[in-house]
Amino acid sequence: MEPPAEVVHWLFGVGFVFLSLCLLAEAIVGREVWRRRAWRAYLWPGIAFLMGVLMWPVMVFYTSSAIHMLAHSTWAQVMMLVGGAQLGLVRGKLHNPLWELTLPLALLVSGLAFLIHEQNPWLFSRSAFLHHALGWTMIAGTVITLGRAVQPRSTAFNAGFAMIMVATATLLFCDRNLAPIFGHLSPLAGGR
Amino acid sequence: MKLRAFVAAALVALAAPTSALAHAVLLERVPTYGAQLATAPRSVSLQFDQTVDAFPTSIDVRSASGRVMTAGPTSTQDHSREVVVPLRRLPKGAYTVRWHVTSNEGHVVSGVYTFGVRVKPPPPTEAYGAGGPTKFEYVVRWGYFVGLALLVGGLAFRLLVLRGRTTPALERRFYWVVGVGVVGSIELGIVGFVLRAADAFQLPLGQLVYGDLSPLARGTRFGEAFIAMTLGFAVVAAFLFLAWLLERPVFLWPAFVLGLVLCSGLSLSSHSAVEANSSWRSELADYVHLVAACFWVGGLVMLAFVVWPTAPGLRREAFHRFSQLAAVLVGAMVLAGAYLAYERLPAVSDLWQARYGQVLLIKSSLVLLALSWGALHHFVVAPALERGRGVGSLAVSRSLRGESGVAIAILLVVAVLVDANPPAKPAPRPTQAVVTPK
Repeated sequence: MEPPAEVVHWLFGVGFVFLSLCLLAEAIVGREVWRRRAWRAYLWPGIAFLMGVLMWPVMVFYTSSAIHMLAHSTWAQVMMLVGGAQLGLVRGKLHNPLWELTLPLALLVSGLAFLIHEQNPWLFSRSAFLHHALGWTMIAGTVITLGRAVQPRSTAFNAGFAMIMVATATLLFCDRNLAPIFGHLSPLAGGR
Repeated sequence: MKLRAFVAAALVALAAPTSALAHAVLLERVPTYGAQLATAPRSVSLQFDQTVDAFPTSIDVRSASGRVMTAGPTSTQDHSREVVVPLRRLPKGAYTVRWHVTSNEGHVVSGVYTFGVRVKPPPPTEAYGAGGPTKFEYVVRWGYFVGLALLVGGLAFRLLVLRGRTTPALERRFYWVVGVGVVGSIELGIVGFVLRAADAFQLPLGQLVYGDLSPLARGTRFGEAFIAMTLGFAVVAAFLFLAWLLERPVFLWPAFVLGLVLCSGLSLSSHSAVEANSSWRSELADYVHLVAACFWVGGLVMLAFVVWPTAPGLRREAFHRFSQLAAVLVGAMVLAGAYLAYERLPAVSDLWQARYGQVLLIKSSLVLLALSWGALHHFVVAPALERGRGVGSLAVSRSLRGESGVAIAILLVVAVLVDANPPAKPAPRPTQAVVTPK
C-alpha cells in the first residue's frame, strides 16, 4: 500500500528545494543580513532534521531488500545528525567548531550509500542514472562543505553548498520508477 | 584544448549505452506469504521485475518436518521473469519456501516465506531450517535491553525522582545517557532485525543484503514490532533533542510516555503473546515486568553514574526518593515475574530439567543478589544518608556502581531467556468414559 518510490523521491525533493532556497538566500545576501531575523538561522538545519525524522517511515516500509533498508536508515541518521548539530551550534548549545564537520561527513556517507545501494549501471534506466548522479554530487559536496567548515563566511563555499542542494532536489524530481535516460532503457529493466 | 577533449569524451562515455546489468526485485509470489490455503497449490511461482537466471534448485519447498515437496526442477517462464517449480500433492500442514535466483549483474537475490494448507503457517522466523538465535544475537539483544533501560529508566528518574531539581553538569550527563539509550535502541533494533532475517534466510550476511525482507517485516509480530518501535524511537529521539536544544524539560514527558508505550512492542511480540496459552494477563504481566525492570536498571545507572558524580547536593534526596520508588518497582517485578514463571513452567522440576527453567534459575539467583544489595541500600545506607552520614563516601558510590553492574548483568540473562522456549504443557488427558457393564 506504499506510494510508488518515485513519489517519495519527489516529496523529499520538495524538502531539498526549501533547504536549498534558504541556503541560496543566505549565500546571496550574506550571513549577517540573513540572520537579522534570528529564526532564519534555524531554518535549514530545522528542515534537515525534520527530513531525517521523516526518512524513518521510508526505511521501515520499503523492505524489498536489506540494502535499501540500510541505505534509508543511513540517510535518516545523517540528516538528523547534521540538522541537530547545526541547530546546536546556532542555539549556542554546542561550541566546538568540529561539529561543523558533521556536514561533510553526512554528505560523504550519503553519497557512498547512494552508490553502494544502486546495483545497476549508469545507463540502465533513469532511476539508476539519477542514483549514481546523486551519489557523486554528494561526494563533490563533501569537498565543498569541508572548505565551508574551514571558511564559514566564504561566499563561494556557501553558494557551492547551496548549489549541491539545488542539484539534489532537481535529481530527485527527475526520478521515475521506469523511464529511459538519454533515450536509452535497458531491455532488462522490466516493468509490467 | 585537452580539457575540451576530456569533457567531450566524458559526455560520450556517459551517453553511450553500456551493457546493462540488473538487480532483480520480486514482484509477486504465488502462493503469497502467510497464506492459509483451502486447497493445496500445484506449484510455487515467483514473478520478478527483470529477467533472472534460475537453477534446478532455485526454489526449495519443505514441509514442517523438512521433507522436500517439489516434484521437479525449477524452470523459468515469461521471458525469464517468472520462476516456477511444480509441487507434489501437499497434505495439510505448514510449508517453507526458500528461493535464490541470480540477477543479471551476478548478485544472488533470495528470500524465504511460509504458507499453510488448511493450517495457519508459522512466521518466517520459525521457518523450517531456521537455526535460532546465535550468541552474537544474544549480545545485540542485551545491548538493546540496556539501551531501553537507559532511555526509559533515565527519563523516569529525571521526571519522577529528580522532579526538576538539577544542575547543568547533571543535565549534560543525563542527556548523554538517554541519548545513548535512544540511539542504541534504534541501531541495535536494526541489527537485531537483520540478524533474525539472516537466520530465517539461512544466508551469510554478505548475501543477505539482496534478500527480500518484506515477509519478515509485514508477516510477523516481530517485524511489526520492529516497524513500530523504530518509528517510535525516532520520534522519541526528536523529542529528546527538542528538550535539550530549547532547554524545555516539558518535551521529556511525551518522550517518556512514548517510550513506555513502545515497551509494549516487546511484550506483544514475545512468548507472552505468541504462545498457545498466552492471554492478555500474560502480556500485561510481561509488560509490567519489563517496565519495572527498565525503571530500576535505568534509575540505578542514573543514581550511580549521573547524580553521584555531578550533583553532590542532590545525592541524599535522590537516593531517598529512588529507594522508595525501587521498593515498589521490585515488588511489581517480582510479582509479575512469579506469575509468568507459574504460567510458563508446568512443573517445578522444569526449573532444573528444561533449558528455559535453567536460565530462569540463573536469572533468579542474580535477581536475589541484586535485591539483597538493594535491601542493604534501602535499610542501611538510606537511613545513614538521612542522618547526614556517608553522603561523600566513596564506598556508597562504589556500592551503587556494583548494584548497577549486577542489574545490567541480569539483562544479559534476560536476552538469553527471551529466546529460550518454555517447556510445552502436557495435553489434558481425555476423560475416561465410565463403562457400565450391561
